[in-house]
Amino acid sequence: MNLTAAYGLLAHGLIFGAMAALLPLGPLHQRVVLTATATALLVGIAPAMHGLFGTPSATLLQLAILQLARRTPSPFTQPVAAGLLTFALFFYPLALGRGPFDPYALGYQPAPLLAALLALGLALWWRRQPGWLRILALDLLAYASGIFVNLWDALFDPLLVLLALAIVVRQWAIRFIASRNR
Amino acid sequence: MQPLSPAVIHHGSAGLFLAALAAAFLRLPATEAPAFVPPPVVASPLPADMTRGNLPSAGATAGPASLTLLADGKVAAAWLAGPGNDNSAATIWLSILGRSGWSQPLPAATLESTAAGTFAHMSSLGRPLLLAEGSWLHLWYESLPLGNGAGAAIVHSLSTDGGKTWSKAERLQTSPLGTLGNGLGGPPLMLADGGLGLPLDQRFPKQGSEWLRLSATGRIVGKIRLAHAAPTLQPAVVALDDHRGLAVLRDNRAGASRATLSTTNGGQTWGAASELALPGPDAPVALLRLASGRLLLAGNPQQGKEALQLWLSADDGQTWAVKRIVEAASDGGAEFADPALLLGRDGRIHLTYTWRQQQIRYVTFTEAWLAGGAP
Repeated sequence: MNLTAAYGLLAHGLIFGAMAALLPLGPLHQRVVLTATATALLVGIAPAMHGLFGTPSATLLQLAILQLARRTPSPFTQPVAAGLLTFALFFYPLALGRGPFDPYALGYQPAPLLAALLALGLALWWRRQPGWLRILALDLLAYASGIFVNLWDALFDPLLVLLALAIVVRQWAIRFIASRNR
Repeated sequence: MQPLSPAVIHHGSAGLFLAALAAAFLRLPATEAPAFVPPPVVASPLPADMTRGNLPSAGATAGPASLTLLADGKVAAAWLAGPGNDNSAATIWLSILGRSGWSQPLPAATLESTAAGTFAHMSSLGRPLLLAEGSWLHLWYESLPLGNGAGAAIVHSLSTDGGKTWSKAERLQTSPLGTLGNGLGGPPLMLADGGLGLPLDQRFPKQGSEWLRLSATGRIVGKIRLAHAAPTLQPAVVALDDHRGLAVLRDNRAGASRATLSTTNGGQTWGAASELALPGPDAPVALLRLASGRLLLAGNPQQGKEALQLWLSADDGQTWAVKRIVEAASDGGAEFADPALLLGRDGRIHLTYTWRQQQIRYVTFTEAWLAGGAP
């Protein structure tokens, strides 16, 4: 069995379950989430998501698992989402052909990227952010296990960037409505 | 059980992070400076000869074909064929040229076998690329989640019994958009370290070409953009010597010249070469280094896909001369496209191309036939 393919399928099942967990379900939460995850795996939703979005990043999977476990507040806060979105605004155009430099290719020989992650890890440790340290650690272990051949794919993916966009837009909309009601 | 103190969580997370970082450093791929493995230059003693036929039919429609030379000297072909306009039913077929002609085609990859290997739903399959490496037969092909314009995921499968059975399909992680964006270009090139250089398309959202470097174990160890001012696709790459290579690209401008790129360091970097003064449509070409060291280019002339033509270059691609028109027709439905070239062990040249999108035409000829031709 292909480890990456199995990871991708199961991860999309859990991500679908985590999306269901966003609904206000009250006492039905656990049952609905379990049913949604099983349904995604059994009726073809997870393979369809896997076909369209590819292998989800280890970061997205961990955030989905935290959502399923109802660990609140989520570490994917509005400032983190805004930071990822800003980074993605530079990363994707360059990686998809704008200009001669391809940052995505760096992920196949990621020594400079690992050095940058060491600096980021130190900053997170200094700012007492053990949650994000653990998420990054598991991202790195997913890369080291061979599930991902490109380190960027372990760190983030288009679906995670869409989630970041949704968080930023939601926050902006809340502020906009609040300012209008003042 | 007592909950862990914040200090233990804090320092434990830092320890886990450092251990994971060390594991990631150990996983870094080790690569040497790349070098090509060009075929040796020898004189071909074969007399002028040319024969024409078709690959066995495997469906009402036929797509691009790919050729490779097996370890025993036989020629194998893989191509896409389907029952009609339903792209989702198209299958990749394999046939081997023996003494009694092409063998009965066997399915090498289907949508179902691809889904079983990748655990992902795809809508159709695309262009295949076949490569024999010793007794191993590699098959790369495109699996498309949406239409052709959105690009594809590149899938790899391996056969160790001459194409009778294939390993589970495995998706290559080539695009930041997951399964979208890429496509296959021309045939892969062997590298001196046992790895491969695989030309790729970048189809979405912007057209371009790329060069994927694979290690001897098949792991992706690098990707280089084949940057050109024009929107290009489907690079056809040939090694001129250990370090020099030439790429002729499908040129979206469809004008009086074709985009080319060259490398002088085994594909580590590519720069624009002087453009080929070969008018042509926006269509893929095939490129081959012959036994004599000359370069052979197969593609469509300026008037379009209603003709398929061969050009020769004796100066590493600086200048080209039209040598043969392989097939031409003036009716509106004629389309002779997607050429693939292969040099046989005996010096014969093998050419396939799609014939009116209905079948795969197979032509084999010698260098003497080519040299004696007039367009």
